[in-house]
Amino acid sequence: MNFLAKLIKSRLRNRFILPISALLVASTFVISGYLLQRQSEGFRRELETSGETMIRMLAINAESGVLFESEYVLDELLQVLTPFESVECALVSNADGLILSSTDKNEPPIILHSDGHLHVDNNDIHKEYIINEEGEELLMLTTSVVTRKGTISRESLGITGQVPTDELDKQQTEVIGHITICLSLEYVNQAISEGRLAVIILALFVLVVGIIIIAIIVNAVTKPITELVEVTDQVRQGDFSRKAGMDRTDELGHLARTFNLMIDSLQQSRDEIEKYNRTLEEKIIQRTEQLEDAQAQLVQSEKLSAIGQLAAGVAHELNNPLGGILGYAQFTIEKLRKNNPKKTTSKEINSYLKYVGDIEAQARRCKTIVQNLLKFSRSSRSVDFEDVDLNKVIKETITFVEHQLKINQIEIECTFTENLETVQGNYGQLQQVFTNLIINAMHASESGQTIRVQSRFSPPVGEFSGAVEILFIDEGHGVAPENMKKIFEPFFTTKEIGKGTGLGLSVSYGIIRDHGGEIQISSELGQGTTFTIVLPVQKNSPTADKQKIISEST
Amino acid sequence: MARILIIDDSPVIRSLLTDFLSDLGHDVESRDNGLDGIKRAKEIDFDLCICDTHLPRANGFDVVNDLAHSRPDIKLIFTDSLPDQLSEKIQQIGDYPCLRKPFELSQLKKVLNSMLKGIETR
Repeated sequence: MNFLAKLIKSRLRNRFILPISALLVASTFVISGYLLQRQSEGFRRELETSGETMIRMLAINAESGVLFESEYVLDELLQVLTPFESVECALVSNADGLILSSTDKNEPPIILHSDGHLHVDNNDIHKEYIINEEGEELLMLTTSVVTRKGTISRESLGITGQVPTDELDKQQTEVIGHITICLSLEYVNQAISEGRLAVIILALFVLVVGIIIIAIIVNAVTKPITELVEVTDQVRQGDFSRKAGMDRTDELGHLARTFNLMIDSLQQSRDEIEKYNRTLEEKIIQRTEQLEDAQAQLVQSEKLSAIGQLAAGVAHELNNPLGGILGYAQFTIEKLRKNNPKKTTSKEINSYLKYVGDIEAQARRCKTIVQNLLKFSRSSRSVDFEDVDLNKVIKETITFVEHQLKINQIEIECTFTENLETVQGNYGQLQQVFTNLIINAMHASESGQTIRVQSRFSPPVGEFSGAVEILFIDEGHGVAPENMKKIFEPFFTTKEIGKGTGLGLSVSYGIIRDHGGEIQISSELGQGTTFTIVLPVQKNSPTADKQKIISEST
Repeated sequence: MARILIIDDSPVIRSLLTDFLSDLGHDVESRDNGLDGIKRAKEIDFDLCICDTHLPRANGFDVVNDLAHSRPDIKLIFTDSLPDQLSEKIQQIGDYPCLRKPFELSQLKKVLNSMLKGIETR
């Protein structure tokens, strides 16, 4: 059943053909059956009618033969039946059931009735279908043979008024015997069989023709639909080349035309989307390039900003000793001009010596600052890695920023581990990172607070060859937990717009990564922040690794 | 002859100004941070104060903000290395002369003379 249901549901054609065919077959069977039944009944009725006519004729003519029980007369009478092939047998009996004449002389008489005695009223005909010993179906008709009694008057019966004629007849007649004839149904059955064959042939013909017509009609409906489905499949797979047939003027033709229009607009839309996609991709590439350029520029500007911060610090650092030099030089010159060499006291000479000594000391200070600056400037241009003493880098970085720290009233406290292992690094780049971290710490701190800078050595463990750790600890406002992850992202800043590029830590992160190290951050809101820079110590400093670092940093 | 207070965190500038102004005959004192400077200015009746803009503990702006109210008669000269927001804030309080480091002694002398005119005649 499931299979049949599936078969029906699988295709539109099946949905039509199978149920309609089933209906056609069923109705053909019902109609044929009905026709055959009617035909069979008709034949039997006809046989019965002719049998009744026959037996009535015999009954009338058998009166004298039965009255006199004359076999001869009755044989003669039964001879009349000979031409009728359908008459299987006939017999006449008297009122006691004794057979007076039979068409079958040699064979024993057939059992007419179960009790061997049959009483049939006047004018009645008893009909019965029986099956003989040979298995043939027979129609057995029995009627009574009657004779008239003496004349009876209406008065003798005590009847007044009108009396029905048959009532009178009954009163006046007497059953004197019976006639029975058996009619074979062979001919009738043969005719029925022939008729049935004809009906079956006709039914089959109607069935076949009907199914063919249904198939043609259903095909006419489903074929364009199937074609449409195929086109839909192709469109789904992205093939817009095939179009649905449009040579019909009915609803399906309309559907096909509408569908074709839909394919056209779909193709147009797809082409537009593809075109748009291509443009979009080009734009993305273009914008990405622009962004990369902008980022490179910003990284450069961050570098310049770091240098700018240094320059401001340097200006502050330089201007005081320069002011000292200029002032003492002018003062000394003025004093010497006014001085009378012959009256110069040793006290005055000592004053001059102090002035000139101050000039020398301040000039040296200027020299140191300029040298540091040059070193930074030179090394920030180069990408060369060398052995770097991190304590020294920090100390020199602090000389640039200490004045700014001082004027912001922030103390800086250094705790260095002496004789620290050197690391492979770029002096200027590391100085840029340290400057950035100290300036950030300064911005996070309030006046009166202290920034602590510590250096220490992590001894080698297993394959780890040891590292130098530099800690920058401030007591400032700390970093909000939600900003901890973003803090090294480019362009992330909590400073006001225009105050920070948001690249300082990002660039620092890049530089430390290029050095094979890492920056760690730990912070508590309101308590302060600690940045820890870990730089690996490479005692043997393999050349290959060095090359790698250089190539990454370029 | 005037009483002058120098507030500057640079030892060499303090030393120079002390030497130079003493040589001119003034009575000179110096402090290396803003807080001590303000404190001293309230103790002694100074005529003039030469104050650096960027100072530890209390900066030039804090100094002028305090002295403008507590010692309105004291005359002020500022020094700085680079013009910045702090210099601008000070100029918003009053039109104080400002010497940019490294300054010429002649320049200081000129400013000093114009400011001490009243004091000299007193």
